[in-house]
Amino acid sequence: MNFRKIQAANKRKTFELLFGMGLLVGAVVYAALTYFGKTGVGIVPFAVGIALISVWGSYWASDTIVLTMTGAKEIVESENPKLFDLIHEVAIASGLKMPKVAIVQDSAPNAFATGRNPDKALIAFTTGILDVMDREELQGVIAHELSHVANRDTLVSAVAATTAGAIAILSDFLTRMMWFGGGRGDDRENNQNPLALIFSLVILILAPLAAILLRSAISRRREALADATAVSFTRNPTGLRRALEVLAADNTVVQQRSTAVAHIWIESPLDGSSVSKLFSTHPPIEERIATLRRMEANPETY
Amino acid sequence: MSTTLIIVAAILVIALICVAGYNRLVRLNVSVDEAFAQIEVQLKRRSDLIPNLVETVKGYAAHEKSTFDAVVAARARSTSATTITDVAAADGAMTQALRGLLAVAEAYPDLKASANFLSLQEELSTTENKVGFSRQFYNDNVRSLNSAVKTFPSNLFANLAKVTSRAFYEVDDPSDRKAPNVKF
Repeated sequence: MNFRKIQAANKRKTFELLFGMGLLVGAVVYAALTYFGKTGVGIVPFAVGIALISVWGSYWASDTIVLTMTGAKEIVESENPKLFDLIHEVAIASGLKMPKVAIVQDSAPNAFATGRNPDKALIAFTTGILDVMDREELQGVIAHELSHVANRDTLVSAVAATTAGAIAILSDFLTRMMWFGGGRGDDRENNQNPLALIFSLVILILAPLAAILLRSAISRRREALADATAVSFTRNPTGLRRALEVLAADNTVVQQRSTAVAHIWIESPLDGSSVSKLFSTHPPIEERIATLRRMEANPETY
Repeated sequence: MSTTLIIVAAILVIALICVAGYNRLVRLNVSVDEAFAQIEVQLKRRSDLIPNLVETVKGYAAHEKSTFDAVVAARARSTSATTITDVAAADGAMTQALRGLLAVAEAYPDLKASANFLSLQEELSTTENKVGFSRQFYNDNVRSLNSAVKTFPSNLFANLAKVTSRAFYEVDDPSDRKAPNVKF
């Protein structure tokens, strides 16, 4: 088990999941076509448009919007030179530009990265994480956050959110049209096969749920990928593993628990029991620790 | 008509592959240069810390002359090095000399407790890390470049782009390269 293999596997999985989302869009369009003919398909660009506008606005301004939503304050080097030194070290290892740095006043240990591209990157830490973690652990956390920047995870999650959003809007529209008698339109005369109609109905009802599941699965893959990329930067799985153990042992959670930004933190801020594993944006922390331990056990593979 | 189209399309595709392969090689070559420049920046930074560090340690341990001489000699050597092998060798010598200096400092509790020494030590350790990471980044880039120079199809354009395999930055210090071996 080395980080290169884990990185490759997670990248391939992300691609497969995004492909799955594409298929799902295709299925919804098929259902629209079966039920409503051309009127149904006319809604597609409309739904995609709404999803694009709502998601890509927040993608474009992600660094500023996330700052507001999480209450993080950007700091300059003189306010915490040691933290800047540590970040600079990892930035050199990753070949990325030095990101902007922000602090969240919160005693729960956590951290996140955002920004639409590596030039606009911002990484933020809670005061809690800076208090409880030593140098090696913090280095692991920083490497994980910079990995999100290097892997362009803001972009990946924006793509996933747009697709899931478009699917949700489409299914919502089409099911409403159905209740209001849309299905009896003139366009439908070629599609009298009752099986196709039932199949389309099932697609329309299940598609939004499937989209959310796929979106969460993509987020989990990106977390696992960021852990492996972090090891490729520091070549030290121990630091990140110990950091995750600190996070696992700690049962305080960040004050703001908005689900909208839950996926960006290193440890999910949502209470574990309230989210089913399938909907979770993060792999179980024990699983992440176990993967890092396997990397520690094979140092010769670097 | 359609055969002409197919031929034109095939030529276009081949041309695109050529341009992409050529650009990739040039880009990899530039990133190796940049990565090497980063190593030099960090080595310079470390070098600049030395006079101050030596003065501070001298204040408490003036008689450890051989240790200071080793550090000063290593510094002189690193400023004159130009090729990758020379820079790497000077870098290794400097790492050794600094380790010796810090080991000397261990024996002087007053020195270890002084604020000046503590801040120098922090600065030195972060610089050591930066030097280490810039070496690693350089070697990762050399690895990608060398494999591109050797593998198909990019190897076809290596001559055209005047890009050749590059030397790894190897420091002769086994403790630097070994990852901690943890057994469970």
